[in-house]
Amino acid sequence: MTTETTFINDEYKYGFVTEVEADTIPKGLNEDIIRMISEKKNEPDWMLEWRLQAYRWWLNKEEPQWPMLNFEPVNYQDLRYYSAPKKMADRFKNEEGKIDPEVKKTFEKLGIPLDEQKQLEGVAIDAVFDSVSVATTHQKVLEDLGIIFCSVSEACEKHPELIKKYLGSVVPYTDNFYATLNSAVFTDGSFVYVPKGVKCPVELSTYFRINAQDTGQFERTLIIADEGSYVSYLEGCTAPMRDRNQLHAAVVELIALGDAQIKYATIQNWYAGDKEGKGGIYNFVTKRGHCRGKNSKISWTQVEAGAAITWKYPSCILEGDNSTGEFYSVAVTNNCMQADTGTKMIHIGNKTKSTIISKGISAGQSANTYRGLVQVLPDAFGCRNYSACDSMLMGDQCSANTVPYIEAENSTAVIEHEATTSKISEEQLFYIKSRGIDEENAINLVVNGFCKEVFKQLPLEFAVEATKLLEMKLEGSIG
Amino acid sequence: MTTAQIAIPDQQVDFMPGFGEEQYSQLGVQDEPELLRAKREEAFRFYKNLPVPTNRTEEWRRTGPALFPFDSLKSLPQLKQAEYAGEGSWDKYFDVVVSIDDTSFSIHDRSGVLKKEVVFVLPLAEASIRFPDLVKKHLQGQALPADMGKIEALNSAFWNIGLFIYIPAKTDLKKGILIKHQHQTSGAILVPRLVAVVEEQSTAHITEHFLSVDDLSFMSITSKELYVQQAARLKIVTLKKWGNQSYHVASDMARVEKDAQVDLVTFNTGGKVSKMKFGSDVAGKNSAAELDGLFFGQDDQHFDQTTLQVHSSPDTYSRLLYKGVVKDKAHSVYQGVIQAKPGAIRVDAYQTNNNIVLNDGARADTIPGLLIDADDLKCSHGATIGNLDEEQIFYLRSRGLSESEARRIVLIGFFEEVIERIPQDFIRDHIHELINQKILKEAED
Repeated sequence: MTTETTFINDEYKYGFVTEVEADTIPKGLNEDIIRMISEKKNEPDWMLEWRLQAYRWWLNKEEPQWPMLNFEPVNYQDLRYYSAPKKMADRFKNEEGKIDPEVKKTFEKLGIPLDEQKQLEGVAIDAVFDSVSVATTHQKVLEDLGIIFCSVSEACEKHPELIKKYLGSVVPYTDNFYATLNSAVFTDGSFVYVPKGVKCPVELSTYFRINAQDTGQFERTLIIADEGSYVSYLEGCTAPMRDRNQLHAAVVELIALGDAQIKYATIQNWYAGDKEGKGGIYNFVTKRGHCRGKNSKISWTQVEAGAAITWKYPSCILEGDNSTGEFYSVAVTNNCMQADTGTKMIHIGNKTKSTIISKGISAGQSANTYRGLVQVLPDAFGCRNYSACDSMLMGDQCSANTVPYIEAENSTAVIEHEATTSKISEEQLFYIKSRGIDEENAINLVVNGFCKEVFKQLPLEFAVEATKLLEMKLEGSIG
Repeated sequence: MTTAQIAIPDQQVDFMPGFGEEQYSQLGVQDEPELLRAKREEAFRFYKNLPVPTNRTEEWRRTGPALFPFDSLKSLPQLKQAEYAGEGSWDKYFDVVVSIDDTSFSIHDRSGVLKKEVVFVLPLAEASIRFPDLVKKHLQGQALPADMGKIEALNSAFWNIGLFIYIPAKTDLKKGILIKHQHQTSGAILVPRLVAVVEEQSTAHITEHFLSVDDLSFMSITSKELYVQQAARLKIVTLKKWGNQSYHVASDMARVEKDAQVDLVTFNTGGKVSKMKFGSDVAGKNSAAELDGLFFGQDDQHFDQTTLQVHSSPDTYSRLLYKGVVKDKAHSVYQGVIQAKPGAIRVDAYQTNNNIVLNDGARADTIPGLLIDADDLKCSHGATIGNLDEEQIFYLRSRGLSESEARRIVLIGFFEEVIERIPQDFIRDHIHELINQKILKEAED
């Protein structure tokens, strides 16, 4: 067994494949497959029952047709719903279980050291390889504070009361086609519980990697911030370059109780397919946060730079009085990528506030759509929303759409929405170029300035990474 | 209608209640001029094959088709041309006055422009004989949106009052045309169709005034096709003062050619349930569209308003301002679309929608949208929902004005931006008066 880098190029340097002996299950989806997944994960019966209910529900669901996306339909029977590096497969049975060296190398190549001595300062990482979580770092520090940060499978085993109480409480298995599918077949993901009054001192992070062919990744993340706590969570994703489409259907649930605060950031760089739009990841994700308690706050930051198709609406249900929801997004599409992304802010509690800042950049033949909902329910008094959605166009073949829905059922609500779509400013480019900076760098500067409002929400190292990612994605998109 | 629209495969045929084969055969289509009959046949086939709207489709999600009394209103009257029935207060301001009621219509030539054949205002049937080429080209022509829905198609097949306005090239119609609708009969459905062609370098004003009395069960399904040709200018002011039991569906589209401009102002106060769509396609270089709208919803009124700003040509301009107030249990829906078609570069488009929700129980939804398929352009929109600005009211109160007076002034200020777009002062005065009445009523409540 060797780690082979099949092809690396400038455009997508994470496109290599790791050859590890994988423990997989047959292709297809039926109740037996779900039982098999559940068995592999050593799950209790109630969990299996929940999955089966979701599966039965899914059979009667239809794929949403409303997004402005065009893609080949997915054959759900031609997918493998579980794949794990073999040496890891029995990790939970064997206390001594070590990480497969090949997998470890993969993550090192991606810049994620899993060895304790090399670990990033201040960031605890849960690394997910195909269907299983391979390592969770910084366990000790977190344990001392009573913070639980582990894979969902582990949480099922060790903290069933929390899982039973919270799993599916924000995104029920009846929610939508992809979330229901995820509920039936989800494999791994991160579980975070921050106890009352604890401010998590490190950034928690999960790194998702799709490696095996024809598999889908269905992770499920559940973050609970108990009263008065704080946690910041980061998620990164990559996949090998393959000319077949792969499916990624994740569900993320955030729960903020009274005075708690959750910051959730995503840097999504799934393989986006080649220039002709062949291959790439279908990224169909349901993310939702629930501000349950008073004065709670949930903040989403996303940098969507990859994936052939993105369908993703990180949302906030603002139920607790005085709670705050934020959504900061940069979505970049190039070549044949298509993104239909945005947010929902549901104002239920009094004096709830939300802010939406969305920046879309489309280049090549791509399509980039912002779709959002701001809803103020009749009994929500004194709510406030501000949304700004800006789109930048590079090239004459791409499209940029903005479709915000605003519904106010209370007369005390104040809602403002602004959107602009324009070409990258010639004047700004000219100004920068006249200072002796070449065109490529001038574009980078303008794009960076355009996205600054969002990037400043990210922790410093990630902001730097996001900036680089954007430069790489847009390389050569203006002739 | 383009061939693409007709080429819809025969699917399960389902009619809107009251608009089926039987009603179609009673229209007297066989007595119509050949050209109109062919157009109607084509429209009817198209209508027949379109799916019946349900509130599961995005367009009808917020205003269910079931809100319209298609099954209880049956009478589709045949309107006969009659003598001009006497002067209305606004008639003196216009060159031509068309008045339409439940059983008849009349066309009154006040300044002799029809007699001198400076302009033509004709029933569609007559126009199809006198100007067959024009009617052929413009009735069910390019102005209609490609994705027409069943109720819009219904108008093409079932219209029972058709008007054709033709302004030949290089004509400046000083005073313009007034079209008055006055309805007093319960249970009727009126399906008016208007086609206006303004040729090169001409200028024209059209004012539409819709009225139906309160407590009258009435429905109108209107459609306008407006063609503004090279360097022409057309201004249309539409006042919709439907009674409190009236239902209304409208679809008005203007196609604007090179160097031409269209100005549409619409003012909606009445009706129990209204679903209105209006917009423009700036289809030639340097063409422009200025669209403005105003609505005031109260009691249990439901307004659903869609505006379209289509840019199918490069170097075009459009601006839209839509403002509204809802109170009591009224519900307003505004959907605005700016669409830049592929290749439509150097486009400048702006859309603003401001809503005031005066009390709890009222509701305003706004869905401003941008659909951009070209680069090198500037498109933007802004939308707000809120109550009256407390600071402005405080400012006025601190000058010694009463609460209700302060609110009235702030509200009038809110509307003024749209009202000042109306060129005729007597219409502006009329609207001021209407708003004052509404606000006074609010102050009493």
